[in-house]
Amino acid sequence: MNLREFGFGEFSFLLLSARWTILLSLIAFAGGGILGILVGSLRISASKPLRMIAAGYIRFFQSTPILIQLFMAYYGTAFIGLSPDPWTAAAITFSLNSAAFFGDIVRGSIEAIPSGQWEAAKALSLRFVPTLRLVIFPQALKLMLPPTVGFMVQIVKTTSVASLIGLTELARTATMINTVTFEPMLVFGTVALIYFALCWPLSLLAKRLERRLEVEGRGRAALA
Amino acid sequence: MFKTRLRTIVAGCAALAMSALLLTAAPRQAAAETVDDIISRGKVVIAIDTTTPPYGMIDEEFQPAGFDIEFAKLIGAALGVPVEFVTVTSPGRIPALLTNRADLVVSIFSITAPRALQVNFSIPYAGQSAVVIAPKSSNIKSHADLVGKKVGLTRGTGEDGLLTEAAKANPGIEILRFDDYASLLQAMVSGQIDAMGGGDYGDIYLKKSDKGEDFEMKYILKTFYFGVGVRRGNPDILQWLNTFIFTLKQDGTLERLSQKYRNTPLPPLPVF
Amino acid sequence: MQSYVFQFGPILIRSEELIHGAWLTIWFASVSMILGLAIGILGAVARSFGPRWLSRIVAAYVELIRNTPLLIQLYFVFFTLPFLGLKLSSSAAAILALSIHLGAYATEIMRAGIQSIPSGQIEAAKSLGLKPYKIIRHIVLLQALRAIYPALCGQFILQLLGTSIISAIAAEELTAIANNMVMQTFRSFEVYIVVAIIYFVLVQGFILLFQGFSRFFFRWKT
Repeated sequence: MNLREFGFGEFSFLLLSARWTILLSLIAFAGGGILGILVGSLRISASKPLRMIAAGYIRFFQSTPILIQLFMAYYGTAFIGLSPDPWTAAAITFSLNSAAFFGDIVRGSIEAIPSGQWEAAKALSLRFVPTLRLVIFPQALKLMLPPTVGFMVQIVKTTSVASLIGLTELARTATMINTVTFEPMLVFGTVALIYFALCWPLSLLAKRLERRLEVEGRGRAALA
Repeated sequence: MFKTRLRTIVAGCAALAMSALLLTAAPRQAAAETVDDIISRGKVVIAIDTTTPPYGMIDEEFQPAGFDIEFAKLIGAALGVPVEFVTVTSPGRIPALLTNRADLVVSIFSITAPRALQVNFSIPYAGQSAVVIAPKSSNIKSHADLVGKKVGLTRGTGEDGLLTEAAKANPGIEILRFDDYASLLQAMVSGQIDAMGGGDYGDIYLKKSDKGEDFEMKYILKTFYFGVGVRRGNPDILQWLNTFIFTLKQDGTLERLSQKYRNTPLPPLPVF
Repeated sequence: MQSYVFQFGPILIRSEELIHGAWLTIWFASVSMILGLAIGILGAVARSFGPRWLSRIVAAYVELIRNTPLLIQLYFVFFTLPFLGLKLSSSAAAILALSIHLGAYATEIMRAGIQSIPSGQIEAAKSLGLKPYKIIRHIVLLQALRAIYPALCGQFILQLLGTSIISAIAAEELTAIANNMVMQTFRSFEVYIVVAIIYFVLVQGFILLFQGFSRFFFRWKT
């Protein structure tokens, strides 16, 4: 077998393989987002055991490398009779992992809402969940947005780790192309550019949202 | 207004997550235990690795290709069912079988006794010598010459075992373990390692690289034989595979594959 | 599926290797934290007070690194720098890539810290006749460090966890040693459980260490 040039075909193959990176990122974002809201809400709930469970969850996922979590989900689940394929293992691991980080973002944003809002809701005899849903979340969402978009950048980049369990996404395709072309500079340079093209707009958006929030905050402070 | 927007966002996320789950949690077929199971199910699931040229790689159309892949397709053709490929990394081969992700593993799977505690092997369909490859300019003839040098290998391969032992016996050999063959070859071409343990096709392969003329095979470590990995306790599948490999050996198919992908004849393939 | 029997024995008799791996992980993390912080401080000063061209270069560095995966940066340093004449060992390449990676985040974090310092303080220091170097060191950096300390520590922890992927360029650390063990014992679940616990303990240890540091270094009142 002969080596071949890194040509347009190889380039577009790499570019196309980015769709798996995007898909995995979206799964992690959606799954992690929903779970994260749950974890974040539990983290500030009135019940101490629930708070502890949520805190433990966050701490576990933030204190172990995602690579080890991924290996555990992929190789290590055989003992309970599960046999996830790389996609299922990656989808579950990335969702659970990002839920821990989203949970922290949700908690931080909710805690930033002035306690007067809670008291007002209580005065209206609203329970915990309706208070969260109707009063606190709509306000916290605005605070959550910039760090959430910022964390999406992390998710996109971290999906590259899934290549290490054989999931054929952007980074693994790069290795595949590299073995038949031996052009590491071109291959990894191209891949770096593709990741950059995916992440940079998100980074810029996060920064802009952050700035807008700051300006609004200043305006509100001036009014108060 | 904000409430409705919140609701749409939440609903959107939920829909995305649901579709993602549906997408990934495809129903899992029951493990095939006999050849009849495979045929009645209508497909054979074979684990391959596309980062191990010339056995597994991608061709000009970016489809899996190579010695192992063509051999795997022959298995499917002989069974009369389409082949479904699942890609695995080299550490993922045994788990792929143990967890029913694949019926068979066809991925430069060297037959070793420790592995045989976990999975069954068919008789070998290919073999190659694990060799030490280094730049032509370096004078390496045995383990002793590797002292003071960086020697690369792929984690968990036959070369890993042999060279790790050699490093114990000859202090001063620095072993670098890579997670895949591609990285190992790349490290050799980049000059990050002074020598590498690999298959005997390796120097042929390296010759095709820009600086490849500089590399040659230095000495043979041991000859390894590749078998098809099967879950333990499936004698029917194993027996069929052995028979099938026997016929391919007799009619010269395996030799043809070896010339096509490795540019060298196969070593004599013993049976057990 | 036969029921699974846990066997931690084959792993625990090799705890010496695991301890060695943990030590290597601590080493990679600590060295790259120190170098990364140094890059971050220099970068943030250059970004905030340097000439425009320098500030632009630093900004480009930060954006480039923060928007590409560490894995690709590792591949780049290890596999392509030799073609440019810079050949580094696995460990050196890992340290370089890790430090450059952390440096970009540290630059951005430090810059935010510098911005948080009221400009009145700098003007006051100027009117006291302090030299720019002293103003930056005593007025700006110390306060900035204190303001962004929690964010910096969070990034440090991510760095510690990030070292788990440097085995991709054959650097030896905890995850690489775990993978060797999996290959030899085939006890993947047990190995990864034990390794996860070690990482967890390491992270908690670093958090405690960081808290101790802050109590020691940031004693002054605001």
